[in-house]
Amino acid sequence: MSDITSALHAVGREPNQAAENLLPLVYEDLRRLAAARMAQEAAGHTLQPTALVHDAWMQLVANGDRTWQNRAHFFGAAADAMRRILIDKARRKSRLRHGGGLARLDISELDLAGTTPDDKVLLIDEALKSLELADPVQARIVVLKFFGGLSNEEVAENLGLGERTVGRQWASAKGWLFRWIRSRS
Amino acid sequence: MSATRPLPDEVLATLLELPDLAQSRQLLDQACAGDPDLRNEVEVLLQTQAEAERFFADGSSALALGADDLATPGLPGIGVACPLVDERIGTRIGRYQLLERIGEGGCGVVYRAEQAEPVRRQVALKVIKLGMDTKSVIARFEAERQALALMDHPNIARVLDAGATETGRPYFVMELVQGTRVSEYCDGNCLDLRVRLQLFVQICHAIQHAHQKGIIHRDIKPSNVMVTLQDGVPVPKVIDFGIAKATDGRLTDNPVLTAAEQFVGTPAYVSPEQAERSGLDIDTRSDVYSLGVLLYELLSGRTPFDGRKLAESGMERMRRTLRESDPPRPSAMVKSMPAGDLTRIAVNRNAEPARLAGQLRGDLDWIVMKALEKDRAHRYQTANGLALDVQRYLESEPVAARPPSQLYRFQKLVRRNKLVFGAAAAVVAALVIGLGAATRLYFRERAALREEGRLRAAAEASEIRETALRRQAEARERMNQAAILITQQRYVEADRLLDAMEIPPPSVEGASAFRLVGNLLAIQGRWQDAAERFAVLLKVDTLDNWNDVTLDHQLYGTELVESGELDRYQRFRREMVANFEVSTNGRADWRILKAGLLLPADPVLITALSPLATVAERDFMVVSRRAGVNDPWGSISMALWKYRCGDYSGAAELCTLCLTNKNEYPVQIQTDRMLLALADWQLGRRAQAQGELLLGRDVILDKFKNPPGLGNAHQGFWWDWVFAGILMREASALVATNPPPAFSDKPPAPP
Repeated sequence: MSDITSALHAVGREPNQAAENLLPLVYEDLRRLAAARMAQEAAGHTLQPTALVHDAWMQLVANGDRTWQNRAHFFGAAADAMRRILIDKARRKSRLRHGGGLARLDISELDLAGTTPDDKVLLIDEALKSLELADPVQARIVVLKFFGGLSNEEVAENLGLGERTVGRQWASAKGWLFRWIRSRS
Repeated sequence: MSATRPLPDEVLATLLELPDLAQSRQLLDQACAGDPDLRNEVEVLLQTQAEAERFFADGSSALALGADDLATPGLPGIGVACPLVDERIGTRIGRYQLLERIGEGGCGVVYRAEQAEPVRRQVALKVIKLGMDTKSVIARFEAERQALALMDHPNIARVLDAGATETGRPYFVMELVQGTRVSEYCDGNCLDLRVRLQLFVQICHAIQHAHQKGIIHRDIKPSNVMVTLQDGVPVPKVIDFGIAKATDGRLTDNPVLTAAEQFVGTPAYVSPEQAERSGLDIDTRSDVYSLGVLLYELLSGRTPFDGRKLAESGMERMRRTLRESDPPRPSAMVKSMPAGDLTRIAVNRNAEPARLAGQLRGDLDWIVMKALEKDRAHRYQTANGLALDVQRYLESEPVAARPPSQLYRFQKLVRRNKLVFGAAAAVVAALVIGLGAATRLYFRERAALREEGRLRAAAEASEIRETALRRQAEARERMNQAAILITQQRYVEADRLLDAMEIPPPSVEGASAFRLVGNLLAIQGRWQDAAERFAVLLKVDTLDNWNDVTLDHQLYGTELVESGELDRYQRFRREMVANFEVSTNGRADWRILKAGLLLPADPVLITALSPLATVAERDFMVVSRRAGVNDPWGSISMALWKYRCGDYSGAAELCTLCLTNKNEYPVQIQTDRMLLALADWQLGRRAQAQGELLLGRDVILDKFKNPPGLGNAHQGFWWDWVFAGILMREASALVATNPPPAFSDKPPAPP
C-alpha cells in the first residue's frame, strides 16, 4: 500500500511517467482485493468493478492517505486498469463466441444490431482510440465513466470540470462514438 | 435562414440537459420555430442519441459485473478456451456414460446416459452450450440443490446431479423421461379440449408442488413438459427444474440477451417481468404466466405472441410487446386463423373447425387471459388457483376469472404506461401528443434505462428474497384456499386459515378474502376478531382502488371503537390521516372523515384533517347542487366534522335539513338524529336533544336485537348501523341519561 502512496505522490511531480508506474500497482492492488473479496463471498458471487475500485480507495484512506489529488489520480489510474482488464475479458469472450482465433474484431464485418454486449465494449474501445485524438477530454470522461464507473461528480472532481459539463460532454461523447462505430460497420 | 440559426448539435446538447419532457418540448418548439429543417435534424440527432444510449447501456451491462477475473490468478474465469466439441457417444462424463443423443434444446444437448454407481440406472444428461460461466452455473445449482432435493412429485422429473465436463462445460443429470412433449402428444392423439385441460391441471399441480418448496421453474414450455404413458395412462412430467435458474447467465455474464440461446426463458412463454432486463424481480407468479401461455397453446394451437417474431424483434421491442400489447383471446386467435390452419388445429382437437372458437369463448378465454395478466397481482396468485379454475370449468361451475370492465381496462392502460411516463401517466401522456416521435423515443429510452439501473440495483438484493419466496408462495396459496372456502361458504375454515397468517403479500384476491371474512366476523358481533382481519387487510390492500381502501379504513375504525380498542383506534386514525393527506375524491374523503371522527378529536387531529375536510366539503356542495338536495352521507360527514370542530349550529343545521328532506334510508335518519341530539345539547337545547335521542335510540337498539347481517344500501350496512350506535352512546353519555350497554356485551347468537 505504501508503494501506491509514494507512486501517487510522484504523480504530482512527473505526471506521465508516474501514471505508467501507477497502473501496475493499482492493478495488483485491485487483484489482491478482488481475491480477498471472492474468498469471503458466497460461491457464484461476482464482483462489480466500480465497487472494487471504491473499496480499493477506501483501503488507501484507511491507511491514512486522504488528499484530494491522490484520490483523483487513484481513480484515474484505476479506471485505466479497469479498462485493460475488462477489454481483455471482453476480447476473450468475444473470441470464443466468434469461433476463436480472431485477434480483434473486424468492424466492417459486423452487423451492429447483432453484436453482443462484449462486442459492443470492444467497439467502444476501438472508437475511443480515435476520440482520444479528436477530443482528449471527452475521451478521458468516457474512460472514467464507462470503464471506471465513476459518477459525474467524481469525474468532475477528477478532471477539474463542472458537473454539468461532464454530463453534457459524456452525452455528446456517446453520440460521437456511436456515430463513429456506425459509420464503419 | 437567419444568421442566428442555432446548430442542431447545440439544440441537442441543451435538450439533453433538461430534466423533463415538458421543458424539452417547449425548448424544441422555441428553438426550431419556423425552421422545419432544423427540427428534422435535431430529431435525427435525438434518434441517434437514443441508439447510442442503448448501445452504451448494453456495453456497460457487459462490464457491470466483470471483475471476477481479477480474483483468479493466471486467468480465465469466463467460458472455457475450448471450441465447441460435441461429446461423443460412448465417452464418459463423470460417473455417466453417454449412450445416445436424444435432443438438442436452446441451451444444450441432451443425452441418454448410464450411471454405474451407486445405482445402475439410465439418466438424462444435459450438457449446457458454451458461453456460460461454468463455475457460476454449478455454484447456482448447488445453492438450490437442497430445495430441488425436496421436490418429490409424480409429475416432476427429478434433477439428480450437476457437474462440469472435462472441457469445462456444465452439465445436469436428470431422471430420464422418455416421452413426447405435451403439445405433440395432445395433437398426435387428437385429444379434445377436456382431456387437454385435465392434463393441464396435473401440470399445474406439479408446478404448485415446486412453488411450495420454493422453486420457480422459469422456463415452462411444451418442450419442458413431457408426457409418458404409465400403464396406458398419460402422465405429464415437468423437466428441467432448477436449470433455468442455474444457467441464468445474466448475473455474471451477459445481462443483455443477445441471442435466443442466451435468453433464460423462451420468448413466447416468458412473463413480462421475467423479460425485463434485470429479470430478477420474479416470483412464482411468473410461472403462472408461462402456464397461461402453455394453456393458450394447448387450446388454440398458437402462443399468444409469435415466438419467432418476438425473438427477431430484438430485446427492447420484445419487452415492450410483453409489457404493453394485449394478445388476442384464444377464441379470437382461432377465428383469425387461415382456414387450412384452423382445420388442422381443430382436427387435432377432435373438434369441428367452425365450432372451436365457440368452445373457447367465454370461460376458457377468461381463464387464460387471467393467467396472462401483465400485472402479476391480477393473475391467479398460484398455480393451484389456475388449476382450480380450470377444474371449475370442467365441472361446469362458475369460474373466478371474469372479463375486464371498461374501468379496469383504463386502469390497465394507465398502469402499463407507468414505466414510461412516470406516475403522472395521464398528464404526461397528454403532453406527449404533438411532440416529435424521435424526442418521445429518446425520453422513453432514457426513462427505461433509468428504470433499468434501478432494477439492476434491486437485483443484487434479490438473493435474499429467494428465501422469502417459499413463504410467499405458501401465503398466497393459503389466501387462495381461503377465497375458495369462502365461495363454498365454509367461513369458519376460511377464517382459521387467515387467522394463522402473518402479513401476506399484497394481492387483490387476498384483500377480498380478508374483507369477506372480516365482514362475516363483524356481523357476528366478533368485533375484535374482525378488527384483526381488517388490520391485515389494510396492509394487503395496497393495490386496489381508492374506493375499497377508504371503505376498509372506515370499517376498521368502526370495529376498533366497537370492540373497545380505543388506544389502537387513536393510533389508527393518526396514521390514516397522515396517509390520506392528499385527497382526491370527495366520497372517499367523507369516509375518511367518518373513520377518523368516531370519537372526539384533539386540535392536532382536527388541524391535520382540515385540508381533507375542505375538499370533502367542496365535493359535498358540488354533489348536492347537482342532485338538487343535500347528499345524505355527505351531509352526515360534514355535520360530524362541524360538530367535532365545535361548530354546533352548523352541524345542527345540516342534520335538521336532512331530516326534513323526506329521507327514506333508516340508518341515515337515525345517524342524523344522534348528531342532532349531540349538537342540540351543546347548544343548550336540552329538551330537543333528549327528544332526538329517544326517537333514534329505540330504532338503533332494535336493529341489534337480531344479527344485523351484512345489510344493503337501502337498509343500511352493518357498519352504518354500528356508526349510528357509536354516536348514540356518545349522545347518551352526554345527555347523561343511562348510557345503554355496548352491543358487544351481549353478542347475538351466531347464525
